[in-house]
Amino acid sequence: MAITASVSLISAAGDLVTNALTLSDSTTLTKAASSTALANTSGLARKTTASTDQYTLFKADEYTADKAHKLYLKNTSATATEFFTVSYDDEIIGRLYAGDWALLPWSATDGVKAAFSVTFANTWAENDTAVFDGVTITLGSTETTAAMVDLVVAAKYPNFTVVETSASVATFTAKDSNDLSLIEEGAASDDYVVTTGGNGTGTVARTVAPVASANDIKITPGQAANTVEYMLFYE
Amino acid sequence: MATTTAAVTLTSDLLSDNMSVSASTTCMKAGTTADGLDGMEYGYLDLITGDEYDLIGATPTASKASKLYLKNHSTDETYFIAITQGTQAIGRLYAGDWMFIPADFHDAAGEIAITANGGTNKICYALFHEGITKDASA
Repeated sequence: MAITASVSLISAAGDLVTNALTLSDSTTLTKAASSTALANTSGLARKTTASTDQYTLFKADEYTADKAHKLYLKNTSATATEFFTVSYDDEIIGRLYAGDWALLPWSATDGVKAAFSVTFANTWAENDTAVFDGVTITLGSTETTAAMVDLVVAAKYPNFTVVETSASVATFTAKDSNDLSLIEEGAASDDYVVTTGGNGTGTVARTVAPVASANDIKITPGQAANTVEYMLFYE
Repeated sequence: MATTTAAVTLTSDLLSDNMSVSASTTCMKAGTTADGLDGMEYGYLDLITGDEYDLIGATPTASKASKLYLKNHSTDETYFIAITQGTQAIGRLYAGDWMFIPADFHDAAGEIAITANGGTNKICYALFHEGITKDASA
């Protein structure tokens, strides 16, 4: 399997310079430090924007950092004044005007995802609840802390993953490093809310401070409606 | 009108069916179909390891439609050029890789900087631009 990327930059004699200029090249896109071809692609995609807001095309968190990823971009507009600005996070790389295309390397430098733990203690009674990330766990009967952890870990949270780190502790990790919200710590957290009728407790402790990813690939249209074609080749 | 045509073809047998994507454009000045990019800076050089270097030793006009071609001509597959802009990591070009990117040069932090890794990398670059201010002699 292989991906071949060919480019030609051509200017006729007397056009850009006195002599004809031809730069042409063809290469097989390979993995980092390897002769093995890149084996994954996002597929060719097309997106029409609806405003001049910034749009994220690819999140660095979702790809391995410091590999040989390559990104193809094209502005499909036929109106000369229409462009979109390509940014890596907030760093402006440049503008692609109507018809322009680009092939960019991408480091996909990850951010750091926030994490916190909840330590459950004592006995959890029927109808006690634990509420987080829009998910409510309501006990149907009295449970041990270990059973409580099992219930918490079994739930599906939209913005966090959760694992059991001990019989009484569940650890949550944000799915996106750009989620910079800090979960309130302690036994009376406003973010991880436990309501108990008995002596059950759930104590929150932040374990990893988040650092936003600074390498997401974004575009900002110069006008509301702009159509971009894009395809990522990645490891 | 200066006319420089940039064309790309991406072919792949990764998927069940073969894929081919092609694009061709005339490199125009920002926001016009009447005037092509008429400035060019071209280089072919050895890049030694150790330090980060500005690729373009001058200041192109900012926020235009400049395009930058850069190829790593190294043959050792472990060699690569790390490309940064300001403090932002852009990506890596391993031996044989090339890129063709828009270049904004919005300020001093918008310089394209390159660092050789693995050994001395041989690179070729061409900047197509709308104007450039040479750096003053020290």
